[in-house]
Amino acid sequence: MNDAVITVQGVGKRFRLKHHASRTLKATALDFVRGRRRPASEFWALKDVCFTVKRGETLGIIGANGAGKSTLMALISGTMPPTTGTISATGTISSLLELGAGFHPELTGRENVFLYGAIMGLTRKQMTRRFDTIVEFSELGKWIDEPVKHYSSGMYVRLGFAVAVEVDPDILLIDEVLAVGDATFQRKCLDRMKEYRTAGKTMIIISHDLPTITSVSDRLLFLENGTVHGIGTPSGMVEEYQEFIRRKQAASAKRVWGTQEVIIDEVVLDAGDGVGTDQFRCGGPLVARIRYTAKHPVPEPVFGFAVADINGHVVYGNNTQIEKCDLPRIDGKGEIAFRIEPLGMSRGTYLLSFSVHSADHKTNYFRLENTHQIHVTADKSFEGCFMPCRWSTK
Amino acid sequence: MWKLLKDLNTHRDLLGIMVGRNLKIRYKRSVLGFFWSLLNPLFFILIYAIFLKILKCYRADDLLFLPMLVTGVITWQFLSMCLNDSLNSILGNSNLVARSVFPRIILPMSMSIANLVNFLFSLVILFGYAAFLKVGGFAPVHFHHLWLLPAVILTHFALCLGLGLILSALNVFFRDTEHVVGVILLAWFFLTPVIYYLEMIPVMYQRLAFLNPMTGIVTAYRTAILGADIIAPRLTLMSFGVAWLVCIAGIAFFQKIEKRFVDEF
Repeated sequence: MNDAVITVQGVGKRFRLKHHASRTLKATALDFVRGRRRPASEFWALKDVCFTVKRGETLGIIGANGAGKSTLMALISGTMPPTTGTISATGTISSLLELGAGFHPELTGRENVFLYGAIMGLTRKQMTRRFDTIVEFSELGKWIDEPVKHYSSGMYVRLGFAVAVEVDPDILLIDEVLAVGDATFQRKCLDRMKEYRTAGKTMIIISHDLPTITSVSDRLLFLENGTVHGIGTPSGMVEEYQEFIRRKQAASAKRVWGTQEVIIDEVVLDAGDGVGTDQFRCGGPLVARIRYTAKHPVPEPVFGFAVADINGHVVYGNNTQIEKCDLPRIDGKGEIAFRIEPLGMSRGTYLLSFSVHSADHKTNYFRLENTHQIHVTADKSFEGCFMPCRWSTK
Repeated sequence: MWKLLKDLNTHRDLLGIMVGRNLKIRYKRSVLGFFWSLLNPLFFILIYAIFLKILKCYRADDLLFLPMLVTGVITWQFLSMCLNDSLNSILGNSNLVARSVFPRIILPMSMSIANLVNFLFSLVILFGYAAFLKVGGFAPVHFHHLWLLPAVILTHFALCLGLGLILSALNVFFRDTEHVVGVILLAWFFLTPVIYYLEMIPVMYQRLAFLNPMTGIVTAYRTAILGADIIAPRLTLMSFGVAWLVCIAGIAFFQKIEKRFVDEF
């Protein structure tokens, strides 16, 4: 027997980006007469997405903003049709998409609860039975008879979560609700989700809160730019995702600036053997050769560099002034090099910055910020910078 | 079609809630509330009656003219209010449509039903008026054809529903539907014997007039409520047939296009 509850096959979703809020009859008629379509720019939010979710499984979806997580949720919930591919889901689906399950702001909390129940196809009687539990869980008290538009965002989410879970669906979709609401409520939600899980129900969750989503999910789906980057164990996927974020951050930290009186044309790194590389070994050497061009004679320039970890924290920095390697004057093309040995960082990825500035630090001639990425391997798995350390016992 | 009925059955509570909401919203914050749905046609009738009198469009000894006018306007009111309400039934609930799954047809349908409820109340009043005329001997009214009424109401509702479905869907894709509908309704009003007798239409065009479903419906109401002679049963049936065709076409069109609503918001 096939126990897949949700099957997503080759699903793609195309959005047409329109410059006007809506088409007018006139524009459509004119286009029709001219026999051409409006040059609407297209955008594929999802492309060729395939996966299945088994009965009783909890699938977490992670990915950067705009990766298509919410679109995927909307497609599964059925509010939107996919452009390509098919989605089949067996059983009732209750979804909590983008805060509040489609509450009507003018109606009271009570009316909205019954409206949601009716949308889910529950009778008034069935809903009345669940009503007290919903009010209790959402901690709304007398607010339940106020129009929803007067609610705080926390109250809104509390009611939304309570209703979505309490209608007892076969499949529960939750889009980033854990981010809102205080810690107590989050705890409560997680407990309720655990209960729901033990009842053998299926769940799909979107969250940016990696520790939480790792703890609740059986598997994680990592979306990247509308395609499935990977699907697998929570710990493995989170690692891949974090690596992805690191790479993205490194790319965005890159910056080049300065007055350009001196320009750093190139920096070549090698591990002491003269062969350019970005792979280094802890304890081994690192040689950097900086090739520069000075447009006109520049007196007493200072060359420097900095090593930062992947989060941008500088772990080491040095320059020619500190080391008393005074350069009297530079003009035209030239090269300056430094050698670090032994390299004393723990394993990981680091970002190098290079700069040349005036002796009084007031003028930055040129600065390459986080432009060079290096990977360091180490035999020992210590943390931070290496300091010779010997343990002993009495 | 079968699936639609099944869906509607599981969501009948939702339909009920939406109908109630539509009725409530209409009269919220208005002092006279429900009476507006009576006062409105009353003013219309007053205006038309005065103008038609001044323009000498009917004979002074024509006792049936006013009841005929009242029936026509109240009947027309159902259609025009229904269509105006249906226009925004999808767009006005876009947050509901975008975030939850239910048969979309419930939104325009609940508008039609809410208007039907209103209309039935007006019919009761209209009926009282006809009874008053009969008892007081003010006009030659009789109720021999009253049995026609349920069929007429049902057909009238089917027409309103079908058109409401088409317009609510079109308005999602083309926001100027609203403006076009205003103009078309005005023309349609004058093409239908609402403020005049069917007999005032040149004989050669009378058959053609029955292609307009409202012609058959309005005259049938007059027959049922005022006891006017049954005019051309075949032509009336044809009119009814057109109304039901519009209804079926509306449902089919709506079913076909409802999936694309969300992409347009």
